Amino acid sequence: MSEQLSADIVVIGSGIVGSLAARRLALQGASVLILEAGPRLDRDRVVAAFRNSPIKGNWMAPYPPSPWAPHPIYVPKDNGYLKQAGPYPYPAEYIRAVGGTTWHWAAQAWRLVPNDVRIKSLYGVGVDWPLTYEELDPWYQEAEELIGVAGAPDTGSPRTQPFPMEPVAEPWSMRRFRERLAPTYAVVANTVARNSRSYGGRPACVGNNSCQPICPVNAQYTGETAIAAAEAAGARLIANAVVYRIEHDAKGRIAAVHYFDPDKGTHRVTGKTFILAANGIESPKLLLLSASDKYPNGLANSSDMVGRHLMDHPSTSLTFYADEELWLGRGPQSPSSINTLRDGAFRSQHAPYRLDFTNISQVLSVTQDLIKEGVYGAEFDKQLRWRAARQVNVKNVLEVLPDPDNRITLSSEKDAMGIPKPEAHYSIGDYTRRAADVSKADFARIAELMGGTGLRYSADGNFANNQHITGTMSMGNDPKSSVVDGFGRTHDHENLFICSTGVMPTAATMNSTLTGIALALRTAEHILPKPAGVHAAISNAEREASLS
Amino acid sequence: MKGMTPLLALICVLAGLYAGVATAADSASTGQYLAIAGDCVACHTAPGGKPFAGGLPVPTPIGTIIATNITPSKTAGIGNYTEQQFSDALRRGIRADGARLYPAMPYTAYARLSDDDVHALYAWFMHDVSPVDTAPTPTRLPFPFNIRLSMAAWNLLFLDSKPFTPDPGKSADWNRGAYLVRGLAHCSTCHTPRNLLMAEQSSRELAGGDVGTWHAPNITSDANSGIGGWSESDLVAYMKLGHATGRAQAAGPMAEAVDNSLQHLTAADLQAIATYLKTVPAQHDPVDTRAVDSWGAASDELDSLRGVALPSDPNKMTGAQLYDGYCASCHQAQGQGSFDGGLPSLFHNTATGRTHTNNLVMVILDGIRWPADGSDVHMPGFAQTLTDQQVATLGSYLIKHYGNPAAAISVDQVKTLRAGGAPSHLVLLARLALVVVVLLLVAIIAMLMRRKRQKARRAGHD
Repeated sequence: MSEQLSADIVVIGSGIVGSLAARRLALQGASVLILEAGPRLDRDRVVAAFRNSPIKGNWMAPYPPSPWAPHPIYVPKDNGYLKQAGPYPYPAEYIRAVGGTTWHWAAQAWRLVPNDVRIKSLYGVGVDWPLTYEELDPWYQEAEELIGVAGAPDTGSPRTQPFPMEPVAEPWSMRRFRERLAPTYAVVANTVARNSRSYGGRPACVGNNSCQPICPVNAQYTGETAIAAAEAAGARLIANAVVYRIEHDAKGRIAAVHYFDPDKGTHRVTGKTFILAANGIESPKLLLLSASDKYPNGLANSSDMVGRHLMDHPSTSLTFYADEELWLGRGPQSPSSINTLRDGAFRSQHAPYRLDFTNISQVLSVTQDLIKEGVYGAEFDKQLRWRAARQVNVKNVLEVLPDPDNRITLSSEKDAMGIPKPEAHYSIGDYTRRAADVSKADFARIAELMGGTGLRYSADGNFANNQHITGTMSMGNDPKSSVVDGFGRTHDHENLFICSTGVMPTAATMNSTLTGIALALRTAEHILPKPAGVHAAISNAEREASLS
Repeated sequence: MKGMTPLLALICVLAGLYAGVATAADSASTGQYLAIAGDCVACHTAPGGKPFAGGLPVPTPIGTIIATNITPSKTAGIGNYTEQQFSDALRRGIRADGARLYPAMPYTAYARLSDDDVHALYAWFMHDVSPVDTAPTPTRLPFPFNIRLSMAAWNLLFLDSKPFTPDPGKSADWNRGAYLVRGLAHCSTCHTPRNLLMAEQSSRELAGGDVGTWHAPNITSDANSGIGGWSESDLVAYMKLGHATGRAQAAGPMAEAVDNSLQHLTAADLQAIATYLKTVPAQHDPVDTRAVDSWGAASDELDSLRGVALPSDPNKMTGAQLYDGYCASCHQAQGQGSFDGGLPSLFHNTATGRTHTNNLVMVILDGIRWPADGSDVHMPGFAQTLTDQQVATLGSYLIKHYGNPAAAISVDQVKTLRAGGAPSHLVLLARLALVVVVLLLVAIIAMLMRRKRQKARRAGHD
């Protein structure tokens, strides 16, 4: 043990969710220490790595894993970090680095729809959440103002306060979708944490169209900005600190966490309150790793629910050529979608879904197709221009129901630090598959309205993963069937809280990050309430500070 | 009035009152426009503070001067000023209590204001600015500059208190431009170089000066060093929008000036300023062998990047690697900017074409933010992410490809600018000068006394 480390609040994980909880607690005057397994990244070196990478289509390429804190990599080949137990693969992508996975997200910052938290009562499927949409509303608002969110007013998610800014300008391709699909479908701007104007000291989006490998100008909010805000608020960060055990005392309170440095030196960190914020896979892994005589199934796991109910949003899709030049690739990668199918009586029969249009430049994929087809020379140029201008894609974003058999467990294989790797057990249920079938009719209708030719549906039974890791540490009122209570406190350990999309008991149809942040802010308030009336004052002062 | 009905008399009195009110209102709105053209707000409003309540610390070579409250507050501002006192402060640098202002207040330029404009400004400040009853901390300069009377001597040497007199040989447009440039808009305050005693060198009007860490460039009619090659519409666009495509863009204090002041001027006034600037006598810098906005061409060093891993030591990154990571996403691979100029080209740009490179360093460090509170980010700054060595390497790459090769950026220069600029020796010089003067005086007195004594002794002998 090289040093004695201690803080009022110890946060494990420096991603967008943990960092924003840490920031709020630090602003309240608590001493906050954040432990991050991965290294610090430099945005512009990531940009340089992306620009120079020959594998442009693989968004993990600019984020090579560190030997001491590996994360899953699948291209050019699977690095074998996330073991797949099947029957269906769960090829999650995430980044273990300071700032976490939102280094390369599409900045989708969606709210739930109100009925998402009551699907058991309303539709007889899944589970109800231990809170209402109305209870979440102010936390969504606080999260949206922090990270700078804009979106359409009519996505099914009501709000009591306006968005902090107006949406990014609609790309031409999305405008044409909106015009041509009306009135059958309402295509609206996505709800995103991307600047349409200067906000929080960051510039407006200029349409580099590389959101998911990296936004080169910092126009979309990322964990990098979140951790900087936490540090500015007084939180202390230790990077390259691989937590491998959470230690409890005789009463079951958490006493300390232990981490390895990259040289495998060990360090013990004590604290009064602990927040586990290491995403929906690494967090349950750590709870399971921390099994003791008193807690043989791992910490926070008296219910045996840790790691279970693993969810994501599977997608099927249709690719086709529109009958006009749309030139995807101008503006953000994911600007617009159809939101009218996120809720309805049908939810008792099949999953709800969003229909999402990609705006990713098609030049790379069309080029690869043409080479595969053996097209060369002048014909190649002609075809590339024709197809890249017209090729479009629509996908569904399907809800999956919580299933205890879908789970993260500890693999018998270990990583370079001698820590067991996570193992995913996953399948896609009929509820979701039925929705995929239903949505095919939507795909066909959309293609028809766009004068589509060359229709290519994704192969039946083939689902893409959307990297929205949810469910593995679900919240609920019953300690027998859930891991944390409605405020993120573990049922088993009074001073252990979880801030993560992993606490979401159901996945709904939208990207999980904003809900994760809102829940984490609510947890932070529960740990250390702000005095009445301080709320606005702090956020205004902070806004000014972030500008200077 | 004899024979007038009381009603008619009342109407006359009311009409008179109305006329008076109308005149005051017109004068006040003119006053507001003039206050914008004079950019009073730039110094007299602190970031986040109430308008004109002062408090902004203005760093100068003789110490930090704190801008005063010029709201009509009777306790903390200028509420008790008569119009004459207001005029004296504005045009002669003399406060109501008789103390001298420091020439950080551009009274040497405002001296050219017409009586009418001073009247309008007075009306507006007194009637339309909200009084703020808090006084900022008073300015405390180091000796000898804390003796405000020293400014009286300075004024004797450097203050030309003659109001502007139109040149009948020039157009009304030109005269209006000259009045604005040399008077109210006080362009020379920044753009004219200063002598050792910090007075503008009138023989080198608008040849370029230094404002803290930034350089206010040559804006004379010289075709290479100045704006001789710009069209009048380029100049108007620059003042209105903050940039002239393919030439230059405002950053630092000039972005503030455009934001606070120039963009709000009427088209006619901007045109007048342009007309006048085009005739300011050329001041040529021999190093500018081409126009400062004509250097460089589209080019890259992509061949040196592909397949080469970035060095682990950030200070060992090449200029091409830095450019690729930090700049190319917006300014594009060859520095050509975006097709519509919205993201500017780095060649044919005064930012890279000037041999005075402080502004290039400053814009890399601070970016371009409007308004002055930084809320509108036109270009992100890299002070937090780039080391001094990296800024120097990157700056040198930009100069090599897109600028005048005679220019240079050193690590020390970056370090100094990041720290807020080179320290001024003016205070020390002034003190040394005083010591020399005192020693000389002592010597003279001693000599005189000796003579006197010798004389007395001789007299005694007599």
